[in-house]
Amino acid sequence: MGNVPTKLDQDGNPIEPVSRPGYPSGNTGSSSTGTSFSGQSTNDGKTRSKRATSLVSTFLNSGSRYRSGSMQDTTYHSPHKKRSTKEKEQMKEQHARNIIVKYDESVDGGFMAPFGSYSYDKLDYDATVVKSLIIQRRLAPFYTPLQDFDPTWSREELLKIVDGLPLHASFDENPEEFEDIPIGDLKKPNFDYLIDKSSSKKEYRNMHSKIFKARLYQKRIYWQERENESFLETKLEVREGKAQNNYLPSNDLKYDLYSNGSECPICFLYFPEPMNYSKCCQQPICTECFVQIKRAEPHFPHEEVDPTKPIQNDNEKDPNLLTTEPSNCPYCATAEFAVVYTPPKNRKVGIQGIPPATYKSVNEPSETNDKDETTTAKNPNNVVSSDAIRPDWENKLNKERIRLARRSANATAIHVSNQLIDPDYASTSNDTTISSSRKTTITTSRHGSNTASRGSRQRSRQSIQDLENEMIQEAIRLSLEDEQQQNKSLKNKSPKKK
Amino acid sequence: MASLPKRIIKETERLVTDPVPGITAEPHDDNLRYFKVTIEGPAGSPYENGLFHLELYLPDDYPMEAPKVRFLTKIYHPNIDRLGRICLDILKTNWSPALQIRTVLLSVQALLASPNPNDPLANDVAEDWIKNETGAKAKAKEWTSLYAKKE
Ligand SMILES: [Zn+2]
Ligand SMILES: [Zn+2]
Repeated sequence: MGNVPTKLDQDGNPIEPVSRPGYPSGNTGSSSTGTSFSGQSTNDGKTRSKRATSLVSTFLNSGSRYRSGSMQDTTYHSPHKKRSTKEKEQMKEQHARNIIVKYDESVDGGFMAPFGSYSYDKLDYDATVVKSLIIQRRLAPFYTPLQDFDPTWSREELLKIVDGLPLHASFDENPEEFEDIPIGDLKKPNFDYLIDKSSSKKEYRNMHSKIFKARLYQKRIYWQERENESFLETKLEVREGKAQNNYLPSNDLKYDLYSNGSECPICFLYFPEPMNYSKCCQQPICTECFVQIKRAEPHFPHEEVDPTKPIQNDNEKDPNLLTTEPSNCPYCATAEFAVVYTPPKNRKVGIQGIPPATYKSVNEPSETNDKDETTTAKNPNNVVSSDAIRPDWENKLNKERIRLARRSANATAIHVSNQLIDPDYASTSNDTTISSSRKTTITTSRHGSNTASRGSRQRSRQSIQDLENEMIQEAIRLSLEDEQQQNKSLKNKSPKKK
Repeated sequence: MASLPKRIIKETERLVTDPVPGITAEPHDDNLRYFKVTIEGPAGSPYENGLFHLELYLPDDYPMEAPKVRFLTKIYHPNIDRLGRICLDILKTNWSPALQIRTVLLSVQALLASPNPNDPLANDVAEDWIKNETGAKAKAKEWTSLYAKKE
C-alpha cells in the first residue's frame, strides 16, 4: 500500500521538493539515511581542540580575506561566512513560510507545521529537516491537538468536535515587543522610508532589524490566516455539497485518529496515536514539544554561581571554553535525547499516501501489516535525535565564541598576559579567598569535583590555549583594522554610485 | 498577553482536586501564573510545626523554563539565602519540562527534610551547619518558632 506516489503529489501541491544530502525524498525506511541523524560525539578532547583550531583559523582566514580585498571569494566555505543582511532576512522569511500550517499539506492526518502551542520565537528548529522527517514517517506529524478528551463521547460527538478544530491556534496580534514599531505597507518589500534619515549607522541597523522582525511577525499571521480562511471555506463548500476536496479528511479518518489518542505529558494536550516515544524510556511526546527540546545556550562550564569564589567576569574567560551539551531526556534525564516513531500501519494518508478524503477504516488487521510492524520497530532509521532537528548548533556555538572573543578582546589580552607571567594566575586568584578547610569540603561537593577534574585537564592544555588566545587576539585586531579600512574606502566610493 | 496554556490550567485544577499533603498552591486572582504557596515543615526536621510561605511564578516559557520559587518566610537553611532564594538543581540546570509545580514543591519540601550544606547557597549557614550541626539545627528550630508560626 502507498508505495506509488498518488495524485496528491502530482497535482500541483505546493510542497517544496525536499532534497538535502542524506535525505532521499523517496519512500520510508530507505537504506542509509539513519547515519546522518545519529548522535554526534562531542565528548572527547580531540573534537574540542579541533573546534578551537577552526576558530583560530576562521579569524586568520577572515583577516586575510579582508586584507586581500577579495570580498567575493567563493572558495571560502566556512560556516561562519558572513551572510549579508538581505540573505539573512530571506532565510528568516523562508523559515516563517515553512512553519505555516496548510490543510492541503498533510501526512497521516497531521500537518507539516506546529499548531501554535509555543510562541513563534521559540520555533527555531530546522523546519526543512522536520518536514522531511515527517514525510518520511520518521517523526509523527504535527497533529491538531484536542484540549480535552472524554472517552464516553459518541462517534458523532467526537466528529463534531474535530470538525470545529482550527488549523492554527489564535495569535497575539499586538505583542508588547513590537508595540511602537512601524511596519509600513507589508506588500512593499522596501521599508527604509520608515527609518529616520538622520539616524546613525548603528541606530539605522538597529531600527532596520526591529522593523524587519515586526513585519515578519505580522506577515506570518497574515499567511497563516489566509490558510485558515481557505480551510474554512473549503470545509463549508464541501459540507454544503458545492464542491469536493481530496485534502479534507474523511469522517473515518477523523474518527480513527482522535478516538484512539493520548495526552502528551509535557503540554497536557490530547493527540492521535501513534506519538513519538523517547528512545530511552518509551514515554510519549508530541512533535510540537519535541521540537522545543534543545541544547542549552552556549555557556561556560560549571556556570552555577559558587558564592565562595569571587565572580569571574565572562569577559575574562577563554571563549573556547564556551560549551553546550546535548539535551537530556525530559523524563529520565538520559543524555542525548532521541525519539522513536513507528508510523500507523493502516493509515498512509496525505503526502506519499492516499488522499485523506478517500480514507476508510480497516477493521481486520492483515498479516502483512503485522510483519511491517516488527520490521519498522527494529529499524534504527526511526530514531531521531534532538540535535538532528537543529543541525546548526555547532555553528551557533562558534558564532557565540567569536562574538565573545570580539567583545572581550581587551580583557582577554590582559588575562593572557597575566597567564604568561604567572601560569597559576587563574587558580590562585580564585582560591585566595577560600580557607583551607572550606577548600576540602568544596572538592567533595558536586560542583567542586567537577571543577577539579576540569581544572587539571585545563592546565595541561593551558600553554596551547595561551597561544591560541594570542592568535585570536592578533586575528581580531587585524580583521577589525581591515574592516575599518574597508568601510572607509567603501564610504569614499559610495557617493558616486548613489 | 496570550491566553493561558492548557497545561497551566490543568496543573492548577489537579493541584486543587488532588492536593499534596502538607502543601498548598493557589493562583493569584489577577495573574494565574503567580501562585501563593505554603509548605509545612517536615516532621523530624528542625522545621517541624512551621508553616512556610513561598511564591511561585511560571515564566512565559514554562514548561520549557523552570518556575521561579522563593521563600517569603524567613528560614535558617544552608540552601536558602536571606532573600529566600533556593539552591535546588531542578530549578536551574536540571530543570525538565516533564517536571511540574507539584514535583517542584515536593522537592522543596524534601530539601527542608534533608539540607545539603556541601552545596550551599547561604554560606554562613552552611559553615555553621558543618562545624556545629546541633547548634545550627537548634537555631533553625528557633527561627521556625519565631517566623513560621502556624496561625
Ligand atoms: Zn506535547
Ligand atoms: Zn528517557
